[in-house]
Amino acid sequence: MDLLWQTAVNATYAASYMALIAVGLVMIFGVMGVINFAHGELYMVGAYCVVFLYAQETFPFLLAVAAGLVFVGFVGIFMERTMFRPLRDNPLGGLIASIGFLLILQTLAVFGFGRRMGHVPPSTQGKMEIFGAILTYQRLFVIVAAVLLLAALWAFLKRSKFGRALRACAQDAEAASLQGISMNQTARVAMFIGAALAGVAGALTAPLVNPTPYIGHSIIVTAFIIIIVGGVGSLEGAVIAAVIYAFVHTFVTTFFDGVIANIVGLALMLAVLVTRPTGLFGAKERA
Amino acid sequence: MSTAGPAGSIRRAVWRLRWVFLFAILAALPYMLSYSQQEIAVLLVINVLLVCSYRLLTLTGEWSLGHVVIMGVGAYASALLAKQFGIPVPLSMLLGGCMAAAIAALLSFPLFRMKGFYFLIGSFAAGEIIRLIWKRFTDPFGGPKGLKRIDPFPDIETGFLSIDFYEPVNYYFLSLVVVSVSLFILYRIERSRIGLTFHAIHWQDRLAESVGVDTFRYRTLAFVIASFFAGIAGGLYAHYVGAVNPTRFSVDQMVYVLVWAVVGGTTTFHGPILGVVVLTVINEIVLRALGLDTARPLIYGAILILSVLYLPHGLESLGPRLRTRWQLWRSGSAAGGRELA
Amino acid sequence: MNPSGERPILEARGLTRRFGGLVAVNNFSFSVHEGAIHGLIGPNGAGKTTTFNVISGFYAPTAGQVLFRGLDISGRKTSALAAMGLVRTFQGSTLFQEFSVLDNVRVGRHLGARAGFIGRLIGTDRLSERAADAKAMETLDFFGLQELAGEPVSNLPHGHQRMLGMAVALAAEPRVLLLDEPFTGMNPEETRRMMALVRRIRDRGVTIILVEHDMQAVMNLCDIITVMNFGALLVEGAPEMVRNDPAVIEAYLGSTDGAGHAS
Repeated sequence: MDLLWQTAVNATYAASYMALIAVGLVMIFGVMGVINFAHGELYMVGAYCVVFLYAQETFPFLLAVAAGLVFVGFVGIFMERTMFRPLRDNPLGGLIASIGFLLILQTLAVFGFGRRMGHVPPSTQGKMEIFGAILTYQRLFVIVAAVLLLAALWAFLKRSKFGRALRACAQDAEAASLQGISMNQTARVAMFIGAALAGVAGALTAPLVNPTPYIGHSIIVTAFIIIIVGGVGSLEGAVIAAVIYAFVHTFVTTFFDGVIANIVGLALMLAVLVTRPTGLFGAKERA
Repeated sequence: MSTAGPAGSIRRAVWRLRWVFLFAILAALPYMLSYSQQEIAVLLVINVLLVCSYRLLTLTGEWSLGHVVIMGVGAYASALLAKQFGIPVPLSMLLGGCMAAAIAALLSFPLFRMKGFYFLIGSFAAGEIIRLIWKRFTDPFGGPKGLKRIDPFPDIETGFLSIDFYEPVNYYFLSLVVVSVSLFILYRIERSRIGLTFHAIHWQDRLAESVGVDTFRYRTLAFVIASFFAGIAGGLYAHYVGAVNPTRFSVDQMVYVLVWAVVGGTTTFHGPILGVVVLTVINEIVLRALGLDTARPLIYGAILILSVLYLPHGLESLGPRLRTRWQLWRSGSAAGGRELA
Repeated sequence: MNPSGERPILEARGLTRRFGGLVAVNNFSFSVHEGAIHGLIGPNGAGKTTTFNVISGFYAPTAGQVLFRGLDISGRKTSALAAMGLVRTFQGSTLFQEFSVLDNVRVGRHLGARAGFIGRLIGTDRLSERAADAKAMETLDFFGLQELAGEPVSNLPHGHQRMLGMAVALAAEPRVLLLDEPFTGMNPEETRRMMALVRRIRDRGVTIILVEHDMQAVMNLCDIITVMNFGALLVEGAPEMVRNDPAVIEAYLGSTDGAGHAS
């Protein structure tokens, strides 16, 4: 029973950073129609911002996280301007270009920090007990930050004028541009937010995972599983699917092993692809 | 195009004998290379088959991310058949190809319910599952360390002829023969009605279906054929290197296949070959000479982005473009502008 | 309704198709007789395109049956239907745009050019391919497109592309040809020529069903017309009867203010 409860707490932590990553990927796909294969590397860059600023230069942890968020957001804008904008009517081209970008980011990380795991000391040693389960403050940070950021994003998208523009572009880019919505402007903001969410997830979890330049690979696999299960265009679906996947993966890892958990996750994704390609929570297919 | 003058007739003669010249160059090539370059040449020949088989799949318009894993299926199957059951290596390679084809046939049931991006991701998921199974199950797949001491290709020993396939030069010629035969078959398939049907499915699958093309069957056929030859490439690889492991067939390797195909271009048969040859030469000769080994992924990445942005039809489009320029420049003179494609 | 007393070549019985909560076709029945040119019309959103798509195997019906020569074919794949002799065309210029004109029609000969896999590899399919090419040229000749056989499709004017679409379908040697809005977007001269072609195709023994908006063309061309409204049968009969039917007039007038409920 204790183990079950502890695993549930661990899964909650996993769900929160996975949701940040997946929502970012969905944002980018929603507006630009491009699957960003370099999304895992954006997470990695966020993590290395913390390695550099916090672990090496000893700036405060939260400042390093904030810097990671902003920096990766600008990397996103750079990607939009140089690759996704010229390739707007070529989604496969955009995807392939993002694979190229992924390789570049990986190599730059190797140049800057070496191939080995970067060590990030925890920013706090504190922990709390919830009905017998241990939750370190470091993990609590991630959960709280994810909830706050996603809530802020949700409010921003629902309330602001930009949110409406974003949804209009996601539904029908041509109609949106006829209404005077700037596709470039919208894409830039969406790309900033999408990338920043991946970056902040990496920054927040850097002390917990000890990043390597190649960590993006497992991240992107996770993100794909979540967005497929949640329905490729759906932000809410991505959050729900992140929770489902985090629980499935954490429980299978705890009671079997990590590789089996990955196989189960991929099989889940294949099953959803076969039976319901629009995802469990995506829009119903219409004729 | 009729051409007058000696220059034209020489060019025509060269064109007629092009295969002779090509094979003469390929036959002389290993003797001009160092030992380590010979080893690279073997892998290059195997990669040519890998990327050409990949192109056949893309003819139907579907891009897979599982092709390297399928190659791995051939490699593992051939290695295990030889190791555990003592099946002679040439036969085990063929069976490895059949195994890869069988796995593809099985996978086509879930995968060809998807198209485009979903197929891409689906093939990725299916490939990762296979790879994780190799990683997880030490018996018989050897786990993360994979299989080692795989039986080499048997030496040929007759009274007056003895060929030791441990020598890269000899394995190079063996691969060259296998790959040439395979490419010829792939070429024949594409030039037949089967190829026409693949293209038709790519451009308008609903129209093809409406005149009786079972698009599911033809997509499966393309996938199965492509996988068979990928499996053969895997067998050639396994019995040359002598070891296989799950990492060797990871998505990182798939990225290279994608780069070769995209940079070379997939419109023509020779496009991907051009891609793999040019990039391997750049990679092995130029980068190694400059000592830029660690920068290899970065340069590959940059080449990939630049070619998607500025050369969307690949290296294959460069030849005709340059030829047009050349002809304009020489306008009117006896430029034997026969299609090289 | 059945002058010759024969079994209809194509029949829909109680056909129903829902999309989520929307009923696009509701318990619709009609039958088509061999050798007829049969029009299927109705105001926007009447369900005629959905009916067309169910008959051609693009959607499975939610309920009901489609019978082809007495055989239940509901839910079968489009390619299987083509093999039985039921071939459809598409709206606009749905063609293999990257192919030559001849190659388009060669794909249309898919079913007629049989050969084994090995035969294709070693080239023993040469005879059946030569026959297929001859048949393709003959089909192009029928449409007056033989001069353009080597041209890329993208060079063809719109009217020629529409004819080529029909040539691709005809190359599959259908018994029943389903035409999806063959006259839409054509000028009167093109329409007139297309109508003559449709009649000539019928005279070769092909039964024709067409979904169309152009009332003038439908009235002049069809032997019998089925009118749908709100997913169900409204009226069926000869053109002059349909033309003067008050229910039909009302349905068409009623739809002009945008009351159509589905598309």
